[in-house]
Amino acid sequence: MSTQKTLPEPIIRPEFINENIALAHTGDVAVKLSVFEKVWNINGVRKAFILLSLVAIWQAYTVLLDVEPLMFPTFLSALDRLVSDLVDGDLLAKVWFSVKVLVIGYATGMAIAAILVLWGTSSRLGGDFISMATAMFNPLPSIAMLPLAMLWFGLGTGSLVFVLVHAVLWAVALNTHSGFKNVSSTLRMIGENYGLRGVPFVVKILVPAALPAIMTGMKVGWAFAWRTLIGAELVFGASSGGGGLGWYIFESSQNIETEGVFAGLFMVILIGITVENLIFRNIELKTINRWGMQR
Amino acid sequence: MSTLPQTVVRPEFDAGDLSAASHGDVARKLSLWEKIVDMDGVRKLTILIALMMAWELYTRLSGVSEYILPKFSDTAVALYDAVLNDQLLIMIKNSMTVLLTGYAIGLVIATLLTTAAIMTRFGSDVLSTLTAMLNPLPAIALLPLALLWFGLGSSSVVFTLLHSVIWPVALNAHTGFMGVSETQRMVGRNYGLKGVSYVTKLLIPAAFPSILMGLKVGWAYAWRTLIAAELVFGGAIADTSGTQSGGLGWFVFANQMDLRIPYVFAGLFTVILVGVLVESLIFSTIESRTVRRWGMQSS
Repeated sequence: MSTQKTLPEPIIRPEFINENIALAHTGDVAVKLSVFEKVWNINGVRKAFILLSLVAIWQAYTVLLDVEPLMFPTFLSALDRLVSDLVDGDLLAKVWFSVKVLVIGYATGMAIAAILVLWGTSSRLGGDFISMATAMFNPLPSIAMLPLAMLWFGLGTGSLVFVLVHAVLWAVALNTHSGFKNVSSTLRMIGENYGLRGVPFVVKILVPAALPAIMTGMKVGWAFAWRTLIGAELVFGASSGGGGLGWYIFESSQNIETEGVFAGLFMVILIGITVENLIFRNIELKTINRWGMQR
Repeated sequence: MSTLPQTVVRPEFDAGDLSAASHGDVARKLSLWEKIVDMDGVRKLTILIALMMAWELYTRLSGVSEYILPKFSDTAVALYDAVLNDQLLIMIKNSMTVLLTGYAIGLVIATLLTTAAIMTRFGSDVLSTLTAMLNPLPAIALLPLALLWFGLGSSSVVFTLLHSVIWPVALNAHTGFMGVSETQRMVGRNYGLKGVSYVTKLLIPAAFPSILMGLKVGWAYAWRTLIAAELVFGGAIADTSGTQSGGLGWFVFANQMDLRIPYVFAGLFTVILVGVLVESLIFSTIESRTVRRWGMQSS
């Protein structure tokens, strides 16, 4: 048949012997790193270096250009102020005041959010209510409620707590509710198969399954609450008793003690880093990371 | 050795009249009422109306002081009046102008930072050190400093807004870019994408869920910061040369000082409205057109 193709001729290369194998070499596969490269490869060293150089630039800029200390104090004087206020002054008491209010507000907000979400998972009316209320109140900056809160609860911790509850509640409720809704039916059926109902069902199936979403809600809630608290104290702190960290910053800026403002900012950053990197990070590592829900 | 169990043989039996077995209503027609209740919008509207009625009834029946909680109807009238006579619209415009200025500049700086962070390891270290330090710092705490440096005026507010936008946006975009899978990168290189086209056609779409998340968080922080800044320093920040000054936060604060409580509520409603509009119109539209359409995010 004409369709049959002719096979190509096989090409047979002549045999040969490679004489110079010893010359072939692969270059430096594993170069020894110099000590400098090794040190520079450590993450912490690079970050510490960046931090130190930022501080050095600040210090050099303020000292060399002779910047007016009222506008921009040197790093060392700000640090000095921070240490002296921590040791001798009442900065610690102010920090404690802020943290206390924050914890009260956060805990109350979480408790209310838990009740709301329980209602939302058990009935359609509750679910509708949650999605309505969160859609309405989540975009409302809680600090805007402060003037009203002061009318209702007077000048004092009550108003601060009210505003904080408002900041935490909607973020947590929104994330938890949507987390619960997205728990897969397989997991739900497994729970039902084990005979779990009501509160045990929520605690043993829904909460662990939706924990990444809940953690997100808690972190967002914390961020909003922390921002709200500082904002509220900046303004109304003095009227609410001892006054907190925000008030310390405001007071310093009013007295044009700029190094005090920086000392307050250092403290705010320190607390923020502690909560985010120590508390939340550890909770995540012990739960969702260990359970393999998040890398 | 265990003995096998006896086989049980059940006796035959006759089921009798099978026609009596019925399945019940497998596909029942829903009544009109049930159909209406099943509509999402209707239920939510009912809840909203019920809340308003409860508010109105409570204020009318309990005789609570109108300085504590004004009637809902008074609040609605106040909102209407404020829009017509009290330059509420201009105040919204003032707030939004400042907000958009800060947001836009913030995005540009965040883009530069992220670009540097993607290109070099040193840039990435700088970005992660800065965000770790400055992200937990509430932007509003910088306002006293900003007032000192830039004086009373909208530039101070823009400075604080910058701070509230840059870090969340840069942080999220950076993690997004870092998380683009190697497979996708190789696909891009296989298509011969390089340089700018590699970034716009491959990296940005692939990291878009994170980028959008950063934009949303940045907006939320900026909005909160703006309201707080105006609430406090609104009078000072506002351009006092004109009568058309101050923003939404200032509207709330000034009316609270004058004890015009219905107007305070009207201001809060406006804040809610603007927030809902931005979040549900702008961001939801972007989301449904991009990440949801591309199947990167469900529901």
